[in-house]
Amino acid sequence: MPVGVAQATKISKSSETTRHSMPRRILSIARNTFREAVRDRVLYNLVLFVLLLTAAAIFVGELSGGQERKIIVDLGLSAMLLFGVFIAIFVGVGLVYKEIERRTVYAIFSKPVGRGEFLIGKYLGLCLTLLVNVLVMGAGVSLALIYVSRGWDPLALSIWPAILLIYVELMILTGVALLFSSFSSPALSALLTFFVFIIGHFSADLKSLANSMGSGVARWLFAALYYLLPNLANLSFITPAAHGQLPLPSHVAVVILYSLVYIVIILAAATMIFSRRNFK
Amino acid sequence: MSHKDSIRDGVLLLTVLIGLATVGGLSRWLDSHRPPVDAKLEEEQLYLNGATARRISLGFNGLAADWYWMRSLQYVGRKIIGVPENVQIDSLGQLNLNLLAPLIDTATTLDPQFMEPYQYAAVVLPDIDLQQAIRITKKGIAANPFAWRLYQHLGYIYWQQRDFQAAGEAYDQGSKLPGAPAWMEAMKAKMAADGGSRELAQEIYERMYEQAEDSQVKEMARRRLLQLESLDQRDGLGRVLSAYRSKVGRCPSSWGEIGPVMRALRLNLDSAGAPLDPSGTAYVLVSDTCDVALDPKSEVPVR
Repeated sequence: MPVGVAQATKISKSSETTRHSMPRRILSIARNTFREAVRDRVLYNLVLFVLLLTAAAIFVGELSGGQERKIIVDLGLSAMLLFGVFIAIFVGVGLVYKEIERRTVYAIFSKPVGRGEFLIGKYLGLCLTLLVNVLVMGAGVSLALIYVSRGWDPLALSIWPAILLIYVELMILTGVALLFSSFSSPALSALLTFFVFIIGHFSADLKSLANSMGSGVARWLFAALYYLLPNLANLSFITPAAHGQLPLPSHVAVVILYSLVYIVIILAAATMIFSRRNFK
Repeated sequence: MSHKDSIRDGVLLLTVLIGLATVGGLSRWLDSHRPPVDAKLEEEQLYLNGATARRISLGFNGLAADWYWMRSLQYVGRKIIGVPENVQIDSLGQLNLNLLAPLIDTATTLDPQFMEPYQYAAVVLPDIDLQQAIRITKKGIAANPFAWRLYQHLGYIYWQQRDFQAAGEAYDQGSKLPGAPAWMEAMKAKMAADGGSRELAQEIYERMYEQAEDSQVKEMARRRLLQLESLDQRDGLGRVLSAYRSKVGRCPSSWGEIGPVMRALRLNLDSAGAPLDPSGTAYVLVSDTCDVALDPKSEVPVR
């Protein structure tokens, strides 16, 4: 049975018993999105990741001049971010598009499911997939560190705040991918999301550009871009984590709050656009 | 699966295998027939400076720094392999390592807290580009104002240049930082008292040996310690030989003739009675000049 139909059937059943339970409907869509991702072999990237880390743990020692621990953290967390970005972009942009293409969206919306609920469910489903991905990868990096240190390594634990920030960055990108896919084609959505990822890491340059511009309009434009686009550089803590540094709890708290607010904005905008979309 | 399908799969599998073997063979042919790389081209400056590389690294700057660090090690390693004699990494000036400074500079700009490249800059770079070695180490101090080890590296660079006052000041500044060991403070006084002494050199290399994580730096420090010990031994043996010549009127024809004196000096001797250097290789008696020399096979560096 196609996933969309299964989803619709499941939602239908759940909506009969709990007609007014919106969280249940969202969770049901999220669960199905996660199942679909697993069925689509999205988690197969973990095999590649494990191979990469194993190779690094065995060979990097000979090439790094005694810096294998740092390199394993840099390599592991960077790969985690990169793989996550690819999943967020390429799976994220297809979340809505596939349902429309297969026409399963009609089956879903014939049930008492709001378009916002559908989008949030899809979003949470992919976030769950990414969470599993990130947790397994994080455990892999910790184990690789314990292996190269021939015993307990404090880095195995101290990298987790950086992993949390990577996950939050992926949550933002998933939202951005979903937002673009709610009104444009998958290819264009992927491209635009990738641009947001790049510009998000150039935020400091946007700010300095805004400050150095002579023209008032240009200054205003760059300042607006700086505040409108997600500042992903705030979530980048891989390099300090490789030196065993921990982010300040206050920094993590504010950054997570910033990200959550940003995600709410993105999902609200996506819902607004998607609600106006005509599927006929 | 029908017989026809099996044959088709077999043919396709064979095509893949033959194709892979052909590609491998062609690659080997191309590698063996590739014209030699122009040395000038190989030494071309890096495409990106550190600041640009950091800007475009999209948060992967730590990984990029690791890449540049490993490139630095490979770059030095390749040059050392090309040299027939066993050179020390702190005397590579003649190897034309023009790219080393930009590589280390880029690695440390990408990740300013990456300490190992700073040590490499302090140990390897002075013989290649002293000003760059000092600049990179000072850049590290600016980025890590509480890292006392960087002051140790800076002191080492100045000490090597026999600028004992600057070296003493660097050790002194480092000694005031939290976590700095007590010996850093003592270094300033030692530099002022006798910066060129072997005792001080021995202490510097012992500290370097204790703290180095890079095996090449550790090995260099170990061999410098062997060299210092050997210099003391050779001084002692030289005195024994001069005393013998003054007493007998000629140089001993073999080590055996001064065996009892060497045993009294508690020198390690081999089965033939020749004194052993700190690496365990017998010293050579140079009868013409009545002097002692290192065996060319010895691990102890000559210079």
